[in-house]
Order: sequence, then C-alpha cells, then structure tokens
Amino acid sequence: MRYRVNHITDYIYDSPATLCHNIMFQIPHDFPFQKVINHEYSIYPKPSYEIVRSDFFENKYLYFSIEHSHKKLTVVSESKLELIEPEWMRVVPGNTQPWEEVVDWLKSDQALNDIKQFYLESEHVKLVDGIREYTLESFTSGRPIMEAMLELNNRIFSDFKFTPGFTDISTPVEEVFKHKKGVCQDFAHFSLACLRSIGLSARYMSGYIETLPPPGKPKLVGADASHAWIALYIPGLDWVEFDATNNLLVSDKHLRVAVGRDFADVTPLKGIVYSSGSQKMRVSVDVRNMDDIPV
Amino acid sequence: MIDSYLVNRMFNNTPFVDEMTTNEGKIAPSWDALARHYSFLGPERMEQYHQEVAKQLRENGVTYNVYGDPDGMNRSWQLDPIPMVFGNQDWSVIEKGLLQRTELLNEILKDLYGSRKLIKDGFIPFELIYNHKGFLRQVDKIKIDGNQQLITYSADLARGPDGKMWVLHDRTDAPSGAGYTLENRLAMTRVFPDMIRENQVRKIASFYQAFKNTLVHLSSRNRENPRIVMLSPGHSNETFFEHAYLSSFLGITLVFGEDLTVSDGYVWLKTIKGLEKVDVIIRRVDDVFCDPLEFRNDSHLGVVGLMESVRQGKVLVINPIGSRILENPGLMAFLPRLSKEVLGEDLILPSVATWWCGQPKEMNYVLDNIEKLIVRTIYRDGSFRSVFGADLSSAEKEELKAKIRKQPYYYVGQEVVEFSTTPSWINKKLEARNAVFRSYIVADSANDRYTVMPGGLSRTSAEKGLFIVSNQQGGISKDTWVMGKSPEPYTARPKQELVLQPVVQNILPSRTGENLFWLGRYMERSAYTVRLMRIVLHSYNEVDDDIHIKEDPALSTLLRSLTKLTGTTPGFNRKSVLKNPEDELMSLACDVNKVGGLANSIQSFLRNVHSVRDRLSLDTWRILESITEELNCLKNGKNLAEVYDVLDNLIIKLMGFYGLNIDNMTREPTWHLLNVGRFIESSLNNCTVLSAMLTKKFDTETMRMLLEDTLKCNESLVTYRYRYRSNLEFSGVLHLLIISEDNPRSLVYQVMKIDEHLSTLPSDYASVLSPARKKLLEAVTKIRLLDVQQMLEFDEKKQAYINLRIFLQEIVSLLFQTSDIIYENYFSHTGSRYSMIQSTLLPEI
Repeated sequence: MRYRVNHITDYIYDSPATLCHNIMFQIPHDFPFQKVINHEYSIYPKPSYEIVRSDFFENKYLYFSIEHSHKKLTVVSESKLELIEPEWMRVVPGNTQPWEEVVDWLKSDQALNDIKQFYLESEHVKLVDGIREYTLESFTSGRPIMEAMLELNNRIFSDFKFTPGFTDISTPVEEVFKHKKGVCQDFAHFSLACLRSIGLSARYMSGYIETLPPPGKPKLVGADASHAWIALYIPGLDWVEFDATNNLLVSDKHLRVAVGRDFADVTPLKGIVYSSGSQKMRVSVDVRNMDDIPV
Repeated sequence: MIDSYLVNRMFNNTPFVDEMTTNEGKIAPSWDALARHYSFLGPERMEQYHQEVAKQLRENGVTYNVYGDPDGMNRSWQLDPIPMVFGNQDWSVIEKGLLQRTELLNEILKDLYGSRKLIKDGFIPFELIYNHKGFLRQVDKIKIDGNQQLITYSADLARGPDGKMWVLHDRTDAPSGAGYTLENRLAMTRVFPDMIRENQVRKIASFYQAFKNTLVHLSSRNRENPRIVMLSPGHSNETFFEHAYLSSFLGITLVFGEDLTVSDGYVWLKTIKGLEKVDVIIRRVDDVFCDPLEFRNDSHLGVVGLMESVRQGKVLVINPIGSRILENPGLMAFLPRLSKEVLGEDLILPSVATWWCGQPKEMNYVLDNIEKLIVRTIYRDGSFRSVFGADLSSAEKEELKAKIRKQPYYYVGQEVVEFSTTPSWINKKLEARNAVFRSYIVADSANDRYTVMPGGLSRTSAEKGLFIVSNQQGGISKDTWVMGKSPEPYTARPKQELVLQPVVQNILPSRTGENLFWLGRYMERSAYTVRLMRIVLHSYNEVDDDIHIKEDPALSTLLRSLTKLTGTTPGFNRKSVLKNPEDELMSLACDVNKVGGLANSIQSFLRNVHSVRDRLSLDTWRILESITEELNCLKNGKNLAEVYDVLDNLIIKLMGFYGLNIDNMTREPTWHLLNVGRFIESSLNNCTVLSAMLTKKFDTETMRMLLEDTLKCNESLVTYRYRYRSNLEFSGVLHLLIISEDNPRSLVYQVMKIDEHLSTLPSDYASVLSPARKKLLEAVTKIRLLDVQQMLEFDEKKQAYINLRIFLQEIVSLLFQTSDIIYENYFSHTGSRYSMIQSTLLPEI
C-alpha cells in the first residue's frame, strides 16, 4: 500500500514572537516493512537556521529557528510511504517461544544494548505498582509471547476507555492506570509499562494511521491525527508492532515516523518561543491511500 | 591546649585515626611546627585570630546561600583558623592518585559518549549507565577537539582507618569551591603570614593560572579573539559569591542564561553594545538545566538552542554537558578493574567500598547488611537522600529493601567508614572533627595532561560524628596546607605561556548594565531620602507638643514633600496621618516592604550591588557590609530617635561607597552607566523637592524655613551663605539650585552630568546627537534660558508659583523620556520571556 501524509502545524501567537527554536520529529525513515518514497517539508516564515540531524535512536529530526518577529508559524510536512505486510502477520502466535525465554535472552550477553535499552524505565513509562500484576494475568507461565501479547493488547483495548481530553502530555501512567482512560499515547505508554515491568524490551512508535469515514460518508480532509503504538522485541522476529488503541497487530496501515523510549524522545514538534503573550498550536493531519488520489 | 586534645583523643575514641596524632598518641611530624605554634598562642589568642579570620572574610564579602531558608541569602562563610594539613610524602601519593583517577574518568567519559566499548565488553554494566539520568542521549558522539573531554574535576576525599585517603564522591558536572578555596587562602595569609612561610605551605595560584591557560588554549584553536564567559544560575544559587569572585579573578565575563542567546548556530552575549559572539562557556549550571529545548523545559537558567551550537562546534562548554554521568557512586565499584583495563595500572586511590545493587550478589549483600551501610541512589537529586541503614526503624528498613528489590540498579550500598578526625577550633577550644577534603584538578590542555591544585577546600561537620559534610547543613571550611617544597620544581612548564587577552575587558552584558544603572539610581535615592528625612525628623522634634502639625505649615509641607519624594501617596496628604505622623515616618524609614521607603530603597540598592559584585572592588565590600548592618538596625528600629542615629551613619557610608568607586572604578561603561543612573535620579529628586517645597506661598518665616530646608536637602546651605552673605531670598535659592552651573547640586549641573556620561557610552549615532542626548540638550537649554524672575510670579487664582511648577514638570518629563530611550538603546535585549510550546493535548486517535 502506498500512502501520502500531510501534517500541518500552526503556532499562533497573541503578540509577535521575536525568536523561536524548534525540534521536529516528522521525517520518516525506512523500516523493514516500510519504504520512504519521498519526504518534503516547508516552513513559513522561512527559518533563519535549519539542519536535519540524526538522534540517539537513529531517527531523523529537523532543528530550526526563526530569528525575526513573526505572528504565526506554519510547518507543513508531506511524506509518501510504501508499506508492505510484515512477516509477523504470518506467524502463528501459539508457536512463538515462551515469554520468559525472551526475558532471559535479553539479560544474556547476546542481546545488544540497543535492544536492551528499551526494557528500562523512562520519563513517561514508570513501572508503578500493580502494572506487573496486571500484565502477568496474560503473561502466564510458559505462555508463547505473541499469544500473551495479543491477549494483553485485547485486555487494554477493552479495559481502557478511549477518552479524548481526559489526559494531557503530563498525565503519569499511574493516573491512566487508575482511571483507565486516555488517548493513543496513554495506551502506548501503558502497554510499554506492562511489558517493561516483566523485563521485556518494548519501544514507542510515533506515526500516523489512516482513519476511514463512516460507511457512505466522504472522508474529511485533516480529520486524521498523529498516532502512537508500540513495538515488542521478539528474537527471530525483530520488533513486532501492536496497537492497543485499535486492538490490532500492526499490518500495512500504520505509517512509521520515529521510535523512542516514549513520547518525550520523539515529540512531533516542540519549540520555545520568545513572546510576551500566550500562544496556540493547531495540528491537522491528512492520510490518503495514494491509489485513491485522482491523478 | 594541644596536650588536652591529645589526651582526649586517646581516651574518647578507640581506635582512632587523627590527622594530627600518630598511633602512639604523639604529634605527627607534619603537624609538629603548627602544634608548637598553637600551644604558644594559647586559647585566647587563637580565638582572637579566629575572629580576625572571620573579619577578613566578612569584609571581603565572602558569602554563600542556603536554600529553603528565608534568611539563607548571603550567609557569611565560616573558616576554621586551623587548616587541614598534608605532609610532602603523603601529598605526592594523593596527587599521583588524583591524576590517575582523572585520566581514568576522562577515558570512561570518552567511551560512554563514543563507542561504549567498555559496556559492550562488560567492564561497565549497561544498566548502571543507561538508567543514570546523567547519561544524556542528546550529547552522544559530541567531542571536544583533543584527548581531554573532562576539563575540570573534583574528588571529595577522607582518610580511612588504614591511613590512606579514600575517595567519597566524584564531582564532574560543575565542581564548586575553587573560589572559596582562594578566599580562604587569602584570609589565612593575612592572619597567619609567618606560619604559612615557615611551613613552606605550597601556593595554589598555579592552579588558577593553569585554568586560565587552558581556557585560552581551548578557545584559541580556531579563533583569534576568544570570548569566555562563566554561566551562573543566578544570585540565589548556593555558591553565587564564588561565581562572581572567580570570574572576576580569571578576567572573564559573568553571565546568566538570560544574557545569552543563540542565533545562526552561534551563542551571543547581549551587551550594551549589541550582540557579541561567545566562544567558551564555563558552566556552573547543572547539565539538564542548560538548554530548555533539549532537556528540562521548565528551566530558566539555561540558553535555548545551546546544544545545537555545541553540536555545530561553534561554542565550547566546560565541563561538557553530559559529564555528570561520572557522578555515579555505582561506578566506583568498577574502577579498580577499569583502571587495569584502560590504563594498565592499579588504582592508587581506593574508593569507599561500594556495592551496586544491579548485580544479584551485591544486592543480596546490601539487603543482608543494610544496617551497616549507607544507601544512595546512582543519581544525586532531590528525590532520594542518602540514608544510614542504622538510623532506620525496622519498618523503614523493609520499605527501603522493597524499593531496592523492585529497581535494584538505582541503588548502591556503601560502607560506613570511621574517617579520621582533625583538630578544629570550635567554641574557643580544640575539638576533633571529621573532615572531608575536596581536591581540584584541571586540564593542562597545551600539554595534554592534568594539574592538581596543591591544596583545596576541606570541610568539617558542624556536629561531632556527622559524616555527611555540606555547607547546606552548616559545615565549616578549612584551608588546606600542603607542607614543604614541591619535589619537582616545575621544569616542564607550558611552552607557550598564554595570557588572557585584553579583549575580555569592556564586555558589559545588558543585564549588568541595567543593574548598574539602577544601582546608581537607588544609591542616590537612598541618600536623598536620608537627607530629607533627617530634616523632617529634626524639625519634628522641635515642634511643641500642643501645636497640631497640620497647623504648622513648614512641617506639614516637609512631611508632604517626603511623601512626594518617596512616591508613597497618599501618606501625609491624609489629614489623619498628618495628625499623627509617627507611624508613617517609622514605616517610611524601616519597612522594607514599603516600596519607595528608605529601607526598601537601600535594600534595592544592595540587591543591585550584589548583582554586579564582580564589577566592584574588594574594598567596596567593607562599606557594603556596614551599610547592610545599618539596614538591619533600621529594620529593627523601635522609635524615631533610633532611626535618627542610623540616618547619620547611613549618609556617610553611602557617600563612602560612592567615593570609593570614584577612586577605584575604571572609566568604562560600568562607571558611566552607574553615573547616568545616579544623575537622572538626583535631577528628578531635585525637581520633585523644589516643586513640593517651594511652589506654595506661606508667611515670611515659614518661607524662610522652607528655603533653608530645601538648601539643606540639596547640601547647598553653606554655599548659599558663602556666596550671597545675605538672608535667604527665593530668587537666590532658585538661582543656586537650578541654574548655577558651578554648583554640583544644581539641576543644570546634574543634567549636564547625565549627558557627559551618556556621551561616552557606545552609540549607533556616530556623527549626530543621539535621541537621548537631544532630550538632554533640550532640558539643559530650557534650564539655561530660565528667567528666574518669571518663576517668582505668584498665580493668585491657583494659589501657587505656577510658572515654577510647570517648568519643573517639563524638566521631569524630558528626564523620563531620556530614561526610556536609554532603556531602549542599552537594556532592551534584557527582555527574555519565553515559553515552551507543544500541544498539551495529545493527538486524538
């Protein structure tokens, strides 16, 4: 499947900003089951300084600053990606290895630090009390890892209520767990906390997903949003992706942008602005199947 | 004195290790001369010397700040008159050990932000680093040119029961104390010059020279004109005194985060001349506070975009951001093996025995022996304080054990060691206290090696037997004496003796400029208020009890003038207050929270002085110390009589402060901005008081009194008498106070002074008059053209000398406009409000 994503962010300031510095994680890169056909971005007003760099997790990011007075900032990025169905879709979950073997393997010398680093706590993924017990209900002794994970995914999907506006970026996992409410980031952070609490390596995936309109209705432009899900490391299969928000084993409808320990590593756009007034941020995302776009 | 110390040591503490005492209870050789000297002096003279040391430090303004204590600002620094002492041989082992440890830590630092081979090969556990909050992924693979990444390093050491020095902590982020060490040595040299000479105490100045050389070396690699700054978190930081002192000693510019800005990938200093490129930043701000965009977004101490500039190699930060990963007690357990692997040598200085709980065997040891250990986290922050297992109740112990079991890699257990004691002067006698010694090491970049300061900062605990020594908990510092000649006279001195280039002069950050401007204004405002208040109190004391003040036109005019001058309306404009003026007078004099009042102005003056302390001479601090004392007297003043006494002292001291600066300050922008502030304030005050005192008409006697008081307030009474040799005439007074160009108290003189100082400041207007100077020219011309007779025309309808009043208002208005333009030109860079922007709401899918 080939997709085109338009991601537009506006900062609107009450009073003019004299200077702003920004970091943008919106530049997708190749993954085993994803190929970047093209990526372009444009920024208005034109940045005084910009540079694309690679981070610790080998994501690409853009650093830019605008060093003159402006009242509005618009960042547009357009990505064209080709997705193929991952191999893990053909794996029989019941045939995967017992999860404890993976835990042991991660502790062995064979596991690289680049993989191990994702079983540690991180800023938004704290191993709070009770989460381990919650996880172990699915990860019973000797259970094949994929099977256990799919059940956990399903339980999170049904136990947690998707509730926009209940949480924000500072809501700790503890609160999410207590109220069982949140949005995709919360579902992802909670999934990560579950897996890390029992010693598995799991990382945060930042990207997009195509949303389909109700049957018979036309799709609205900009109705999509950035999305978050997770990837669990299984030796032999590499990083296998799960989406608890939609109760899915990720196939060819998730567009990957960046990976990190959690949201803080790969915030799509953050900035610091010198302005005496307050400011608003507006985001619009549009994901299209390229086969649907009239030429 | 010494004998009783020895006896006490023998009987109170077995087995003991004491710095001064051998195992047999004799005086150690390195202490011999000192012990004899102390015995000779006896307790009384020791105490005298102690007081003298304290006086030296106080007069040099040596202070530190204690967090979370409203009275914690500017506490005076405590120094024990008895030093920590190291003999020659003892020291050579310590020095060698420190050099080795620095080399080792430097190699580890390079590896952790480089290939991480030491982790891959199993010499450093992965979890010990990746779990440490000082491991900053944002700085991975960034390197300073050359081998040395760790530029400064400090180790806290103490002597263990085996007689060896042990390392307690490593400090690699932004080690503090080198400035206090220097002040300690200065004070000790003043008080004990003979002892220092006779014992051949090694000089520590070479350390600072090496530091300077390295700064220049590092910055001059690609550049011809290095600009070096020290980034301080601000006035309320614990060691702010030292930031100001060290930067001024090293001849570099002291800045705060708000003074710097990043543009085009470079870091710029906002100065009164505009933006100036910065090459090197010596950082006293903790790593994660350095750049709110990439690290903690709630930090207002850092510079937005700094990391990007570092990545570009456009600015050098010392120590590099990320160095804090080495402040990791868990690492201590692995150093002996690392030393063999990396350096091929045995580790010379042992660390205190450490068990990192990230390994099962070690964790079990800590859990089983918790009552014998100190438990720390691998990362030092506010969330967990080190605890002695022995101090915990059994419930607390279980709680801690559960925490350790849950996340073992965050914790270490460390052995509780009986460290040596050293004689200390406490409450007028010698007592044995545990001491910790902080050493200082700096890279000698030109020669690719490190230099150890032959001395350092020692600290003893405030209470007996307390092992956690810190200033925050009331510790006392000691100078550290390394005795005897240096074994190898420095033959291998740096080949190129680099000296800091003079370009470091003349850099005046806008914020500092603004502080100086306000320093001048508050100084003048305080002095003027004192003068008027003295006059008011004097005449208040003369009033008969049975006369109502509001029926005394001279006194009520004086009181209202005071309200006007201090801007504290309604004040004496209220009849009830005027009837009973005492409370309002007390509050005007003593209440620091009354904005515009005297105590408040003096406090603002002192606050601005503290902000620019690196710009003022040391002698200035003696006067400031005594102005602070007067302010405290005012604050505690009980009645007007007490206040009156303080006023007399204050005026002398304020003038003394200014006088000293006339003598000592170089005629640079610092001096001129201070004076611009001063003369703007005095011109404004002059107008205000003239208008308040002399624009109404009273009977002849009252008029005479008011004219006299106005002259007194402007210190011109003597001049008047001398010049006119006549009774007080209205026209003569106006002549003298407004248009007489040779009277330094006249309005015209003061406005001309503003212009004189302003004309020397950098300006974009090369060949034409700047807008601010145009305003001043207008004001001066108006004054010069003034027709005094016209001012004396009384407007019957308005019952006022309306011409005079309007004239004064016009001048005030021009002065305000001038002040606004000065602000815009020189301090407008100061505006630096910023905020984090990212959607607080998460995307909704």
